[in-house]
Amino acid sequence: MSIIQIENLKKAYDTNYVLKGINLNIEAGQIVGYIGPNGAGKSTTIKILCGIISDFEGEVSVMGLDVRKSPIEVKQKIGYIPELAALYDVLTPVEYLRFSGKLYNLEDNVITKKTSELLRLFDLHDKANTRMTSYSKGMKQKVLLISGLIHNPEIIFLDEPLSGLDANAVILVKEILAQLKTAGKTIFYSSHIMDVVEKISDRIVIIDKGEVKADGSFETLKANAHLGSLENIFTALTGGSEQHQSTANEFINVLNS
Amino acid sequence: MDKLILRFVLFIAKTFLKKDIDFEKLKIIAETKLIMDRRRVRVTMKKQTKKEPNNQILMTLIVYSIMGLFIGALVLSLKEIIITMTIIHSYVLFMMAMTLITDFSSVLLDTTDNQIILPRPVNSKTFFVARLVHILVYLLQFTIALSVFPLIFIFIGYGILVGFASIITILLTVMFAVFITYLLYGFILRISSEEKIKDIISGFQIVMTIIFAVGFQIVPRLLNIENLKVTMPIHWYTYLLPPMWMANALQAVQQLHVDGPHLIMILLAIALPIVTFWVMIKFLAPSFAKKIAAMGNAGTQEEIVLNKEGNRQKGLSEIISPIVCVNKIEEAGFEMAWKMTARDKGFKIQFYPSLAYILVFVFIVVFKRGEDFANTWAKLSGSQSFLWCVYLPMFTISAAVSLIAFNENFAASWVYISRPLKQPGSLISGALKMLLVKFFAPIIFILFVFSFYVWGYKIIDDFVLGIFNNILVFLIISHLGKSYLPFSMQPNVNQQTGKFIRVIYQMAIIGSLVGLHYLALKIWWLVIVLIPFSAAGCYFLFRTVQNYSWQKISN
Repeated sequence: MSIIQIENLKKAYDTNYVLKGINLNIEAGQIVGYIGPNGAGKSTTIKILCGIISDFEGEVSVMGLDVRKSPIEVKQKIGYIPELAALYDVLTPVEYLRFSGKLYNLEDNVITKKTSELLRLFDLHDKANTRMTSYSKGMKQKVLLISGLIHNPEIIFLDEPLSGLDANAVILVKEILAQLKTAGKTIFYSSHIMDVVEKISDRIVIIDKGEVKADGSFETLKANAHLGSLENIFTALTGGSEQHQSTANEFINVLNS
Repeated sequence: MDKLILRFVLFIAKTFLKKDIDFEKLKIIAETKLIMDRRRVRVTMKKQTKKEPNNQILMTLIVYSIMGLFIGALVLSLKEIIITMTIIHSYVLFMMAMTLITDFSSVLLDTTDNQIILPRPVNSKTFFVARLVHILVYLLQFTIALSVFPLIFIFIGYGILVGFASIITILLTVMFAVFITYLLYGFILRISSEEKIKDIISGFQIVMTIIFAVGFQIVPRLLNIENLKVTMPIHWYTYLLPPMWMANALQAVQQLHVDGPHLIMILLAIALPIVTFWVMIKFLAPSFAKKIAAMGNAGTQEEIVLNKEGNRQKGLSEIISPIVCVNKIEEAGFEMAWKMTARDKGFKIQFYPSLAYILVFVFIVVFKRGEDFANTWAKLSGSQSFLWCVYLPMFTISAAVSLIAFNENFAASWVYISRPLKQPGSLISGALKMLLVKFFAPIIFILFVFSFYVWGYKIIDDFVLGIFNNILVFLIISHLGKSYLPFSMQPNVNQQTGKFIRVIYQMAIIGSLVGLHYLALKIWWLVIVLIPFSAAGCYFLFRTVQNYSWQKISN
């Protein structure tokens, strides 16, 4: 049975449909890259899968649990790492991780131990007791990653996990995702960084305007589209490269006028 | 203190609520929230903050208890229990509701909770009760700060029985304040968007700061009205005023005598806060939470006024700027500062209350203490107090010189550095002109109209000289101080450096100019002769500021 099942998922804000019938089945142990232009509905899908948004149309189940009926159980079993560096930045990382760990019912000593080790692995141990107001975006993102993984979830949802990270941290995160996959975890993430998606995803889902435009491994997508890179496939499906070129031309013309 | 109260509240919560609540999670949420409360920068305290606050809330609580001391003292001087108690309970009700709206709104309307706590396995009931516990602890801290001195005075003045009854009525009043706040929020949420709410709340915050500022000036002055003898019989509208229920209930306790109206009052005093609180928890709060949850999602857009051709209409600042500015850069500084001061919450909260001070100062200085109001008014036109009207506005307006340098979004000032500017001083002179046109001009106009009404045409030349002198002082102050580009500095870090010294030479400069002006009043033609000199000084200084090079700009 698929670990994530989405059947005819629709979601509207007011009367405006941002998701217009998504169908997806995801097997355990896969890394799924979920990509699309701004406003395509990526974050909304992830929020629905994590049990954060409950008013939607269609059926969605995660690990066999209906996300509408048992959001708490779903939340306990998954990890969610949001896009914007949304955390209480007047707290220190240690305080924040203690807070979020306790919300996952972890024991104090487990939290303390994991926190100090994970912060050390992310090179944050010397700032572990400084308030995060002075942190850079990348440092906050690292704390968010730890807070979403500390309870060792089965499925990990990441919304733009690489934004704001420096090159070394990107490589580290990529490696961590690969290791998590080896450990049998399922990873579902959205990203704009095409070459990373291309390299680490088992499966790539491209959505645009609330609809799935392409779905499959990078090789299948490439074979179907006869285009070299994921970037080319992406623009072909969501914008059209001629379109981009003529826009760019016009842009230069306006500047020259 | 908050930890102690938290333990107490959690104990109560444990006894009464069992179902569906995870107390471990509840405790950690409430604890974390309280830590954040302590570190949050408060509106009323903003000016004093230099570094990251460790226990901001404590300072606020101390300020509140000093207010309480005033009110308590005021109350002890009145002998009528109804008036006393009505004042105390109105004070608690008002302060509590205002505090909730202004200080606590950032907590209630914070949508980061949705992003941080909602993805975690916390059921909605636990989350809700955690919020409630947090609010209760917060409320109790403020209740204690507000009422500790009034209660001490009540125990002294009316004895133990009334004292204990007052503790209960004050707690009930606080409950009612929470209900009022919730109603207000519910109402605002129903009629408007998130951005609007923030505007409305910052409006309340400004009112609150003004009340603090003015309250500390006025309340001590009221302390000698001890002969006030008013009786308050029960009217029909008495039944509509919560503080009156409390007061009448306490009167019944004091006299140990209960008649029909008092019985109704006691029932109202006890039953209504409890019933409304229950209604709030049961019905209002869930829908409220849903509304807040929805807030993070729906985007709101600020509408821009369009003219007939479908283009954006020119704003007032864009019409004025070519008239008062000499070059494009200055116009840019003028327009940008104009718009920012209208929209930036941080500036509004710090600046507008200081405008209210002008009125307070005029009141205090022109109408001296202890004198009959009508008498002072009659003698006013013979005096030379109009000089106060001419020069007082400058104290507040010049404070804005440092305010416009600071902004939360200070990092955006990279735009100045990246542009090919030879003389960035024009940006500063543009912003200074903005302050003069937007704030100084209307205020001096109002004061001029007032003065013209009292003293007649003979003050016209004094105002002309005064206006130039004011501009001169204003420019000297900004010239002598550090020159920052508008909205380019991080607030609260070095905002205060050199403030004391600035105030000192500000006083010295204004003092000597006012002195000069005062002496000039003796010779009728001297004021007129001085005007061109002052105007020339203004012109010269404006040129100097405009030509500031990058070396002169501090960062």
